[in-house]
Amino acid sequence: MKTLSCLALAVVFSVPLARAQPSFKGPMPDATVIVDASLRRAAYLSRIDEALVWRAAMAKPGEPKTFGLGEIVSKLARREDAAACSERLIELMKAPTGDMFWMFPVTAIYYLGRDQLTPEAKAAVREAWRAYMPLRGDTENHWAMYYSSLYLMAQQWPDEPGERWFNGKSSRENFEESRDYLLHWMELTTTIGQGEYDCTHYIGEYAIPMLYLATWARDPAMRQRGRMMLDYIFADYAVETLNGMYVGAHARTDDTTLLEKWNGLSSFFGWLLLGNCPPTVAYGGWGIYFVAAAKNYELPEVIYRIGTDRAGTYTHYERKRTRHRWRNSDVRNAPVYKTTYITKDYAVGSDQGGLLQPIQQHSWDVTWAVPDPRGVHNTIFSNQPHFSAHELMMYFTEKPDFMPAAVTSQGKPTYIAESKLLGGSPYEQIFQRDDTVISLCHVPAGANFEQVNGFFSKDLARFEEDASGWIFTQGGNAYIAYRPLAPYEWKPLEVGGKRLRSPHGKNGTIVQAASVAEFKSWDDFKAAIRALPLEIRLEPTPRVAFTTLRGKKLVCTYGAAPVVDGTTFDYSGWKLFSGPYLNAEVGSGKLTITHGALERVLDFKTITITDRVKP
Amino acid sequence: MQTLKSKLFFAALLAALGGHAPIGAAAPKHDLYLSVLLSGPGQIMGGRTPALSGVYRSTDRLKVEHVGFGHIRMFQVIGDPHSADGLYLAALNGVVHSKDRGKTWRILTGWDMTEPKGLAIDPNATDHIYAGLPDGIAVSRDRGATWARMNGGIRRSYTQTITIDRTQAGRVLAGTELGIYLTEDGARTWRLVQPTTETTYDLRQSPHDPKIFFAVTTSSGALWSEDRGLTWKPIAGVPKKHTLHNGVFDPSDARRLVLCGWDAGLLVSEDGGRTWLDRTAGLPNRQIWSVAVDPDQPGRLYASPFQQPVYVSEDFGLNWKPAFFEKATAFNLTFVPRP
Repeated sequence: MKTLSCLALAVVFSVPLARAQPSFKGPMPDATVIVDASLRRAAYLSRIDEALVWRAAMAKPGEPKTFGLGEIVSKLARREDAAACSERLIELMKAPTGDMFWMFPVTAIYYLGRDQLTPEAKAAVREAWRAYMPLRGDTENHWAMYYSSLYLMAQQWPDEPGERWFNGKSSRENFEESRDYLLHWMELTTTIGQGEYDCTHYIGEYAIPMLYLATWARDPAMRQRGRMMLDYIFADYAVETLNGMYVGAHARTDDTTLLEKWNGLSSFFGWLLLGNCPPTVAYGGWGIYFVAAAKNYELPEVIYRIGTDRAGTYTHYERKRTRHRWRNSDVRNAPVYKTTYITKDYAVGSDQGGLLQPIQQHSWDVTWAVPDPRGVHNTIFSNQPHFSAHELMMYFTEKPDFMPAAVTSQGKPTYIAESKLLGGSPYEQIFQRDDTVISLCHVPAGANFEQVNGFFSKDLARFEEDASGWIFTQGGNAYIAYRPLAPYEWKPLEVGGKRLRSPHGKNGTIVQAASVAEFKSWDDFKAAIRALPLEIRLEPTPRVAFTTLRGKKLVCTYGAAPVVDGTTFDYSGWKLFSGPYLNAEVGSGKLTITHGALERVLDFKTITITDRVKP
Repeated sequence: MQTLKSKLFFAALLAALGGHAPIGAAAPKHDLYLSVLLSGPGQIMGGRTPALSGVYRSTDRLKVEHVGFGHIRMFQVIGDPHSADGLYLAALNGVVHSKDRGKTWRILTGWDMTEPKGLAIDPNATDHIYAGLPDGIAVSRDRGATWARMNGGIRRSYTQTITIDRTQAGRVLAGTELGIYLTEDGARTWRLVQPTTETTYDLRQSPHDPKIFFAVTTSSGALWSEDRGLTWKPIAGVPKKHTLHNGVFDPSDARRLVLCGWDAGLLVSEDGGRTWLDRTAGLPNRQIWSVAVDPDQPGRLYASPFQQPVYVSEDFGLNWKPAFFEKATAFNLTFVPRP
């Protein structure tokens, strides 16, 4: 299905992984903040070299299958084996495959190889762009890759007629169409929010094209926009990370990263840019296409500081938008309201619930910090497992009936499973204040499925079901109290840990987190939670009145706006970004990034970057 | 060199193996185009494609040849009234045109138009092309050189199918998410003529009587109009609980209609839609993605059961045999006049 867009993991991981990857297998990186800019840059360049050396060495003499586009791009970035790269490239260009996932690697190879590849290899690339028509795709990450690549190749081969291009359009037409789309997407993102927001994998599918524009666009304005969008994407990531792990609500994640929070392409960027976590296997797969040009980018210090400073607790708010809705909605892009509360020990993040994205939405969780995240399921959350043709018709243009089952064979195997832990629900409403989350569910009879699932990790240090109805847990240095609103049972999970299954349509979850350091003892924490005023009502519709550990009086009723300390909560003033580090007004196209005295303002209306050190 | 006699022999042999009779000495007036996905429902964009999907053409109803590019989503093929060698495609990449029967292509639409599902050219104003998009309707007045969005008045503008009344230029019906809309001024204004609860997937004008239109929907069953699409009534005997994909007139026989859908199987009517007979027996499943009636061979039907061969029947659905491919999902089966 389309649509159902794709990781093309088979392509990513077609490389042999036998050879040790130093940082992937090695000890945890020293997470000390590097103050000296030259040392920080040197460490960054060292990580780039590590990845390039590893991937370049994957190519084995006499084994063409080991010598793919990833190896070529790595070798060309290192300026080695140009003759072998040329020879192999000629072969690979005879049978292109991969659509937009083919376009950007080949674009990088061509630009890196302009003064290295043989004329014959360049001609083979040129011919492939005439004869092979890639799919344009159906999501914004597809279009970012497609149009950034087409923009750069049309720039490289100007003044050519339509007969020389796969789509019959001239160089000028391709250049202008690509430019127009990219400007459109940048404006949309910087005024009403990113559509595929805060993705643990797809962050790469946006960052790589933007890096290529920042590196190779000849138009200084487009080059500047590419650089600014990189800053924008990475600031958006850095502010919601905990030791490199992308935390909070995600438009898209996957069944693995959902539990093992570190294990996503986003952590590759944490390793590369922040230096505070290991890279994922094979440097995230696509990561190699970022490092191939990464020397042309430098993460601004203000973003580095935001990503690495967890000395203080903060709450970050942001507004995103849903992916484009085609059916079952009166709006094309509905607003997404995100809240993320971050401490050095844990993070709590959420959206407002509902169907905000298809299939891979993750609406809320608590993630705790761990000394080494590899293999650790350092999270707790619940979800209302839902699937429907209605959901898929909203976001895809396919015929309805085959889609749910088809999705399961498109890399999303749990989509129709009752036990699923991934995905949004139209029957879940969420409200977060500080480190408290209240999720209420009201599932109509007959819907898939009339229940709530809760994830309880194999890596919880403590777990106690209390007579009060609370389930008390500890993960790392975080205490987490979890309150199911309806009776439940336990189901084992193949990956370890267990699933709370609460088979009731009127349902929900309350979670309250705290740092271990806030209490003298585990018993004190439990006593404090038990003492919090709490009223739960499930009929006629779920309602919770709860006074949080932070003293906020919350009243949440399914179908109604939340009430905080007696005042009905109003979402209308929600900004694009607000918090101590990132601030932007809806529609402004201007993001202010702040850390301490450092400030960078990205103004997309004037295409300017303004740095200052505040007095 | 093969003699005519040997050609006919091999054609007959192939047809017997393939399960259906060749057109024979009388050359068909139309080519059959099949827009198919051959790499299974698990195929994702950007993934390796084990089989070459896209548009296939059969000039003899015996074998098929691949035409153009191998995309996994191609939704409709129509002919070009200005050129016997011309073809238009509604494809995931946009509206695409070939001037040479598929040797070369040009995408006519830009970044702002994705995944057109339906395409129609006004037979009385042949420069005018209408495209149904997931977010509206686009119209070109210059054979696709430029496009404008023209879906004013349509709420929930997802548009799956477009049909142009051949009796009046600029009179167009569109099957959308929430009903059938009509324009009589070339898409400048639209009005709802038949609400539906979900998407209308096919909309056709009778080749025998231009006042008659036939539509199929997701959950409103099949609909019938006898006043050029102004008013509609549900067709009795057609279930509403399944999504219907195609509703087709038999160009050879005004009494005959066919429809198909997901779990709905394949139904035929031989009395102008008054009664319906289930003709799914002989097909491997009831998930019939598309159906077409051969305009050159009375009684011949083609049907595409989900992820099965494309089947053919010589007796209007009484008996079926596999005809093309091993496992296909045919998004569209259509006949284009032969050059």
